[in-house]
Amino acid sequence: MMCAWNELIGILPLWMRQEVDQSGKADAQELRLRLKGPPELVLEGTSRWLEGTVTREDLCFVINTASRYSPWAASTSAQGYLTAPGGHRIGLCGETILRNGAADGFREVSSLCIRIARDFPGVAKAAAGCGGSVLILGAPGWGKTTLLRDLSRQMADTEQVCVIDERGELFPNGFRRGKRMDILSGCPKSQGILMALRTMGPDCITVDEITQTEDCNALIQAAHCGVRLLATAHGTSLREIRRRPIYRQLLEQSVFDTLLVLRKDKTYRGEALTG
Amino acid sequence: MSLKWIGAIMVITGCTGFGLTIAAGYRREVGLLDRLLRALQAMRWELQYQLTPLPELCRKAGTDAGGPIGEVLAALAKELDRNNIPEVNICMRSALEGAGDLPPSVRRLLMQLGRTLGRYDLPGQLQGLRAVQSACEKRLSFLQKNRDVRLRSYQTLAVCAGVALAILFI
Repeated sequence: MMCAWNELIGILPLWMRQEVDQSGKADAQELRLRLKGPPELVLEGTSRWLEGTVTREDLCFVINTASRYSPWAASTSAQGYLTAPGGHRIGLCGETILRNGAADGFREVSSLCIRIARDFPGVAKAAAGCGGSVLILGAPGWGKTTLLRDLSRQMADTEQVCVIDERGELFPNGFRRGKRMDILSGCPKSQGILMALRTMGPDCITVDEITQTEDCNALIQAAHCGVRLLATAHGTSLREIRRRPIYRQLLEQSVFDTLLVLRKDKTYRGEALTG
Repeated sequence: MSLKWIGAIMVITGCTGFGLTIAAGYRREVGLLDRLLRALQAMRWELQYQLTPLPELCRKAGTDAGGPIGEVLAALAKELDRNNIPEVNICMRSALEGAGDLPPSVRRLLMQLGRTLGRYDLPGQLQGLRAVQSACEKRLSFLQKNRDVRLRSYQTLAVCAGVALAILFI
C-alpha cells in the first residue's frame, strides 16, 4: 500500500500533526474537521475523536497549505473541493457565495473532509482480464478510484493508456504509473477525452467519475473511434444506473462491455454488459 | 595653524560624507523600487498565463528581480514551502526579518504585497498586484520629482562648506 502521508501531514495545523501521524498512518481513510469541534479521524470501520478543538484559523490553514496559498490555482474550490499535494481530496462545506444563481466560492468554510488517497497495487489483478471497456460502479468511499488506478496501471503494461486526471487524484506524485501511461491532468474530462483522442493515439482512455452529459458524449465519441474506456460512476447496481438518464445513453450505445460493481467492503464482482 | 587644518578637514569630511550617504540612499531606494516593480510585473504575467502556485511564483519573480528584493521573495517562497505559517503576510514578515537593511518605503511596499498575496481569486489577485505596483510607481515618481530639490540642497551644502572653510582660513 502506498500513500503520500507526509504530504497529508504537511497540510495539517501544527498541533494536530503528531496525533494524526500516530493514530492514522496505517489505516486512516478520512480526517473530518468541523469548526468548534474535535477533529474526527475515520479509520477502517471505526472512527476516533482527537484532542483539541478546530478553529477558523485551522480550517484556513488547511485550505491555504493544500492550495499552496494560491486560491487562483485551486479553482475547483468553487465546486466544493480541492486536491491537496499527494492526491488527497478535500471537500469543503460552509456558507457559499452565489453569483448568477450558482455557487462561486465560499464566504466561510465550516467543515472540511479530507479523504486520504491510498494506492493498493495489485487490487485489480482479478479484473485485468476483462475484455473491452469497463465501467466501475460504487458508492463514495468504496474504492472506485483505487480500483481504476490499478486497473489502468495493469493495462498500461501492454497498451497505450491515456489517463484524464481532472482532479489530479489518480496519479499524484509518488504513485507508481504504468509503463505506457500518459497523464493529462487539470483538464475537464469531456475536453480531455477529445484532446487525448486527437493527439495521443491511445488504445485506452481512463476517466474517473462520470457525472455530466458532456463527459458521456465524449466517451461515446471515443468508443466509436475504437478506443477502449475505463471509467467510474456513482451507483451500486446496473439497475440503478439504468434509471439515470445520463448513464442510460452509455448503456444504450453499448459503450461499456463489463461492469465492475464494488461492495462496501471494497471487494467487487464483474458483470458482462453485452451479448 | 594645525587646528585650522583639522577643522577644515572635519568640515569637508562631514559635508562630503553627508552628501554621499544621502545620494547613495537615494540611489539604493530607486534601484530597489525598480527591482520590485520588475518582480511585480513578472508576477502578473506569470499569474495571468500560468496560474502558478504562490511559492513557485515568488521564487520565479525573485530570480527575475535579483538583489535584496529577490532574496526577500526567495525567503518568502521558502517560508511558504515550510507549511508552518497560516497566512502569507506572516510569512512575509518572517522573510523581511532576515532581509537586513531595507529602506522603510520598500519594506512597507513588501508588507502591502504580503497582505495581498494568496487571498483572492485570479482577478482579485491581479488587482491586488496592480495596487502594489501603483504604490511603488507613486513612490518612484515622488523620489524623481524631489531629485532637483535635493540636488539644489546638496549644492547649497557644498557652498556652505566652502564658506565655512573660508571663514576658518581668514
